[in-house]
Parts: sequence; structure tokens; C-alpha cells
Amino acid sequence: MSIVNIFEGREGHIAQKGEQSLPLACSSDSLAGAVSQRACVYSGARVVLNPITDALHLVHGPIGCASYTWDIRGSTSTGPDLYRNSFSTDMKELDVIFGGEKKLAAAIRELAHKFKPPAIFVYSTCIVGIIGDDLTSICKKAGEELGIPVLPVKSEGFRGSKNEGYKAACNALAELIGVRDYRPKGPSINLLGEYNVACDLSFVKPFFEEMGLEVVATFTGDARVEEIERAHTAQLNLVQCSGSMTYLAKKMEEKYGIPYRRISFFGLQDMSAALRTAAEFFGMAAMKEKAEEIICRETERVRPEIEAYRSRVAGKKAAIYMGGAAKAVSLVKAFQELGMEVVIIGTQTGGRDDYQNIAYIVKEGTVIIDDANPLELKELLIKQKADLLVAGVKERFLAYKMGIAFCDFNHDRTTSFEGYTGMMNFAREVSITINSPVWQLPVRRANLVDRRMNMEIMTGVSNDIQEPCHS
Amino acid sequence: MISKSLATVNPCSMCMPMGSVLVFRGIEGCMPLFHGSQGCSTYMRLYLAHHFREPVDIASTALSEKGAVYGGSANLMQGLKNVIKGYNPKVIGIATTCLAETIGDDVPQIVREFQAQELLAKDVIIISVSTPSYAASHEVGYRVALKALIQTIAKKSKPNGRINMLVGSIISPADVRFLRRLFDDWGLGYILMPDISETFDAILSQDLPLIPKGGTPLEDIRDTANSKATLTIGGWVQEPGAGNYLENEFKVPHVALPLPIGLEFTDRLAANLEELTGLSMPECYERERGRLLDTMVDAHKILADVKTAVYGDTEMVLGITRIMTELGMKPQIVATGAANPAFAENAAELAPGSKVMMETDFSQIATEASSRDIELLVGPFMGRGIARKENIPLLRVGLPNHDRYGASHQLLLGYEGSMNLVEGMANALLEGRERGTT
Repeated sequence: MSIVNIFEGREGHIAQKGEQSLPLACSSDSLAGAVSQRACVYSGARVVLNPITDALHLVHGPIGCASYTWDIRGSTSTGPDLYRNSFSTDMKELDVIFGGEKKLAAAIRELAHKFKPPAIFVYSTCIVGIIGDDLTSICKKAGEELGIPVLPVKSEGFRGSKNEGYKAACNALAELIGVRDYRPKGPSINLLGEYNVACDLSFVKPFFEEMGLEVVATFTGDARVEEIERAHTAQLNLVQCSGSMTYLAKKMEEKYGIPYRRISFFGLQDMSAALRTAAEFFGMAAMKEKAEEIICRETERVRPEIEAYRSRVAGKKAAIYMGGAAKAVSLVKAFQELGMEVVIIGTQTGGRDDYQNIAYIVKEGTVIIDDANPLELKELLIKQKADLLVAGVKERFLAYKMGIAFCDFNHDRTTSFEGYTGMMNFAREVSITINSPVWQLPVRRANLVDRRMNMEIMTGVSNDIQEPCHS
Repeated sequence: MISKSLATVNPCSMCMPMGSVLVFRGIEGCMPLFHGSQGCSTYMRLYLAHHFREPVDIASTALSEKGAVYGGSANLMQGLKNVIKGYNPKVIGIATTCLAETIGDDVPQIVREFQAQELLAKDVIIISVSTPSYAASHEVGYRVALKALIQTIAKKSKPNGRINMLVGSIISPADVRFLRRLFDDWGLGYILMPDISETFDAILSQDLPLIPKGGTPLEDIRDTANSKATLTIGGWVQEPGAGNYLENEFKVPHVALPLPIGLEFTDRLAANLEELTGLSMPECYERERGRLLDTMVDAHKILADVKTAVYGDTEMVLGITRIMTELGMKPQIVATGAANPAFAENAAELAPGSKVMMETDFSQIATEASSRDIELLVGPFMGRGIARKENIPLLRVGLPNHDRYGASHQLLLGYEGSMNLVEGMANALLEGRERGTT
């Protein structure tokens, strides 16, 4: 029997470690009518590619798909801001009937002339997949004519989950990589699955540079098209968000012989491990020494503040609901660093291996959930007595309405959580929300009239007796 | 009239299902269900959660490749069943998405089959509306959902002596609360629909209901057929909808009014209420009117000749344009993302000499703004790009507002709401000037 049992067909997707058998059911279509927190293929592609700051991102479809994804990610730029615009072919009824190919071709040409981007990504949406516009040949032709890469992103919303969107995005990136010659100045790396949300990169990249490493390209936070084009010249790929980028890392390994390592920049342990992984790979003594020096220096720098927050949150119970598994796993370790216990952990799109890994690292009694919905989350938060939920905006108000503290760890966050400073910020966020006085405010006011009446009843004196009736 | 470029750059409108949700969520015990791919529901939930700062549950039939090839009937039936089981709704509002429309699912037929074979569906009213994004904007989605609800539920019985107050365009929960207060104070019997005053702005309480409390009760919707009149507030330039249906079908006289923004349009609502009820406007509102006038006089110089660009939903834009001209401001750009010729006509009349734009996007608005020395932008938050680039103050009004607090509590209607607008515009200008000089 599942710990929550709201919808038939969801039983296998929820398990309590030590109670139900694992592995968890996952990687299947969402259940109709169950208010999944998942998005679509297009969404997956869009979040991966959109942070490329100087590219033009054109959505081939009706207006909604472009409206709702305009500037949606908190990915910041240190330069160009073309990516913060929303371009759409705004398909109308006639385009659906007669096909949108001509409109698309003309729109690409028009936008290329007007904005002069170094590359254009063209995303397909649900109806494009149904009416069968030939994106590939239109993009190819336009690319030849315009002399810039015009890349089709096959992201029809219904053809799977976000994971398929990540793949579509990686396929488009793969086409871009390798077209530009470059020689890195020294040992060099790419950072994959790093989206520069809330300027995260500025808390991470300088350490690699201090170690003498050149970061050729980041995928795709604060990236420029040119950097992506020469990414094949790096010697090592460090992959953070493994759900979105392992596929590309494998492709690059096959094609260019670049090995990859999985790392995370979140949490003191993981951040330090990331620096060591890089140093280890290049095997240079000086670099290893430098890494240790950075780790020691930075850890010492942030430790007092983190300790102070830790003393205010230790022992509290956290629930984690993330899009992908990599972040969820990193969070488990970060909560250990804060002395907190994880009581629920779930993801939208985790795979079999991910859940096995999660089951391995969490304690007995922790609930693991795949593709959760608000009703299940609500029940689990109560049953597991969570003090804090870490998730995205859709879940934020569910937590707040339940009187549960919340920490945003998604596209929308405005505070950097990566690197040493990021962990300090995270500790602060967790502490200010858990320890806020708002949770102590009385939900119900003491009603004076009622209270007086009660007292009078208790003392046996009523108004009727004290005051004569008006007759 | 308007040179339309082939691509839309920075859209000034949303899609049809979005409008339908804003109606469905204003009905008591109503759960929206999108028939289409999972992303549509998630995106719109996210968008609305950002705006209202509330949990927003919208179910989806989560159509996948299989559904797209073989039809979405199985998903729709399963979706309905799960929504009933999970949420125990009184009403389910189904809105189609592009995908469902393009693969050609016959939604009303599937619903009939579901209702015939499913015991669970016995006490649930299921309404479906056709809302493909490519057909029209969110405003039309709103209108068709409102009409579909009335068409399906309204039933003739005994005259009730009440007035139907249909909210014809998207306004804030605070605006809806204001309307209720006004009608209550007036002492008139009314049915207000849709009512998002609580459902999109719920109080913090000890229990979290499956479907937010509040909304127009079903009995009231049924009773709209028996009212003595219908006012569609914010239905001025909209195509015939629920109000016209009630008039044609049940002989309930219908008047479509602009949103009561500014003196004239609020007076117009008051006049209509006086005529319908024979009761004078309560004294406290006369005093509010006086205070609005006083505020307009106080602010007339700072606002004089100020060149403005106002954009967003049709009715709100027209109301704001009107109060601008009442104040001696100079609207230069009056724009909407919707395709609505009646809007264009009336906008041109309200603000002669202004550039009236429909089916527009923010790139076109930006182009026009840069050649017209715009001093103040008024509209949803998406104008922030222009505001930043051109260094023009922006007063955020309407939906969406994702980057400021208070969207649910923004009162723009009536004398009091108009006062907020006057002061908001004046202060935005002043803050802009202060920023410019420091």
C-alpha cells in the first residue's frame, strides 16, 4: 500500500524507503487528469538553449508557446541580451490549414536581417508536428542563404517529456559545435548543464581560472554562439545538470574524444569535489595544489556564516521536488551539511538509474516520488511533517498556503546557490524562510466578543440578568 | 493600416485556453482541464501562479504521440475520471489546445459518451470550449468560456428580480470585490459571474481545499435566465457573448458597458444601475466620486500633456485611455495584441491623433514609442523591456504582472480605482524624474 493513494495507476511511482519495493516506476507518460508538474518537449528544449545570449530563438507555432516562455529563465548575461526577446511565427488558422512553411522561411529571413544574430534556433511546437511543416529543409535553405547556422529544434510538445526536449536541444547544439577553429591557451574545459541562473557562473568559473584552466564554453549559461562553435577544442567536459546534458557529453566524447565527468557546483562537498575532479583529470601537481588551496580558503571563508545558519535549521525536515535528478541528489548532500533531514524527494523526469541512486543516498522512511502532482505533494508534506519544501514557482504557493517554508531552486530564483558563496546564500534562504516570524502569527484572531461570552457563561453571569429587558 | 511584420517579436497577448481558465476558476467548485499536451497546462499554471501568487491547479489530458495519432478520446475520458476522483468538482471546464483541435477530436461527443457510461459523472456538469491558440487571443477564450457556461447551465424558471453582472474582461480579484461591495451597498439583487475574488486570492487558513473556495455558485448561473437584466461590465467592444445569448434566448435585456475606469465610464455604470433599480447611488460613492474629482484636480498639472503609451487587454486599455484624456494627458499609442476592429474604432474616437494598434507586439510598440517621445507607459509588466531601453517610467496594470507584488490587490475600477490610477501615474512620473536626476 502506497503512503498516498489518490490516483489509480500512480502506485508504482511512489515509494517509502524500507517500506515499498524499488525501483520506482518512471519515464512514462503523465497520467491524464492528474495535474502533473511536468512541462513538454518544447519546454525542455527551450530551457536548455535559451540561455545562449546572442542567438535568436524563433518559435514556430501559435502565440501561446512563445508568450509563456518569454524571458522565463533567470539565466543572466554579461553581454548580449537578444535571448531575452520572444520571437514567434504566430501561426494562425490559415497557417494551420495551408502549412506554415512559407511564413517560417520569410520570418527567418526578416529576423536575420533585422537582428543580425550569429545563429538562429527554430523550435517546432505541437501543431507543426501534426501539419508536417518541413523544418529541417527550411532551416537548411535559410542557413545557406543567410550564411549563418539556422538550426531546427524538433520539439513538438506532445512527443514525450522534457527529456526528449533536452535531446532535441543537444542535437541542435551538436550541429553548432566544431565549426570554428580555436586553440585554447592552456588546459581547457567546458562546463555543461550550467545555466547561469542568478549569475551562478560568477561564483564558480573564477575558481577554474585560478587553477589555470580555460573555460572554452559553458552550456549554455551566458554562452555566445562563437564559444559553442569552438567547444570541441576543450580537453574535458564537466557535466552538472546530467539530465539535460549527458547526452551531449556522450556525443562529444564519441565525435571529438573529449571525456566527461559528472560534477555539481552546489554544496560545499560537491563544489570542492568538482574542483578536485578537474585537477585530478589534468594530473598537474601545481593545479592540484591550487585546487586544495582554493577549497581550504573558500571553505574557511564561508564556514562561520554557514555554521550560524546551521544552528538555526539543524534537525528540520526538508522535502525536495525538482525537475531533474542531479539537482535533487546535490540537495540531499547540502541538507546533510546543514544538519537537516530529507523526508521527501522527487523529480519530474528522473530515470531508473537516478532513482536507484537517490534510494541509495536517502535514509529509511524517506518518500521517493516520480512525476508528482499537487494532491500527492500536499498529502506527503503533511504525512512526512516537512518543515520546508524546495521546488519551483508552481509548488511555492502550495507550500505557503499550507504554512510550510519554501525555497525556490528553479529557473526563477534570483539568488545564486552555486559555489561557496552560493551555499552560504542557500543556508541563509533556508534559515530565513524556516525561521520567519510569519509562521508564528495566529491564523485565527482571538475574538473578544466570543471570549467575553464564554467567560460570562463560565462565571454564570449573563447580560440578560445584568441588564433589564427592554419591554 | 498597420504594417504587420511576419514574425511576432515579444507578444502582447496570450492564448485562448488562458482566457478560459480565468472564467472557469471564477465558478464555484470548477476544475479546469486542458485537452492537449502536458506543457500547456504547466505553462499556464506557472504564468498564473506568478501573477496571482496562488496555487493554480489545471489538469491536463497529457496527450502523447499515441494520442496524437489515434485520437485523444481515451486520454480525455481518463482525465475526466481522474479529475472527478481527485478533485471532486461540481463543474469541469474543458478547454481544447492546438493539438487536440488539429488532430480533430470531437470533444462534445467524447464528453457525451463519458457522461453516458460513467457513474462518477452523474452529478458533475462538464462544459467544453474550443480554444485553439491559433484562432484568437486569450480575450476570446475568456468570452467563449463565459458564454459556454451560461449556454449549458442557464435554465428558465421564475423571475428572480436580480441583475446579471457579467464580468466581460479580465480584472483583478480586488476589482471583483469592489464590484460586489458596490452592488451590496446599492442594495440591489445581483448575480456576479465569473467571481475570482476569492478563488485567485484566497486567505491563509488552516485547511487547503482541493478547489479554492468562492466563485459564482451554480444555482446563480442557472438563474441568470430569470434575471430582469444583464450588464456586461467590460463588454463594450467584445463580440456578442453570454449577455447576448441571455437576451436572445430568455429575453433578458442586455447592456454592454466599458470597464468603469475614469469619471465618465464609472458614471455610466452608475447611471445604468440607477435606471435598472430606481435606486440612487449610495451617498458614500457620491463622496468617492467627489474625492476622485479632487484627486484629478490635484494632479492635473503634473499629468498635463504627458505623452503616454497604453497597451494590453482591449477593455482595460480603453478605460485607461479615457481617464487619460479626462486628465489632459496625451495618449500617443493605444495598443492591444488582440484582433478587434471595434477596439480600434473606439480607441481612435477616444484619443484622436493617437496611433491605434491592434494585433500588435512589443517590438512594434517600441518602434512607435521611440518616435513619439513617450513619457509614460501603462500596461502589463512585459512593457518593462521598452521602459528599460527607452528610460520611460512604467505603471504596471492588469495581467500579467510577474515582477511586482500586489497584482491581485490592484483596484482599478470605480471612482476609487480611478483614483489609484491617477495617483499611480503621477507617482510613476515623479519617480522617473527623480531617478533621472540622481
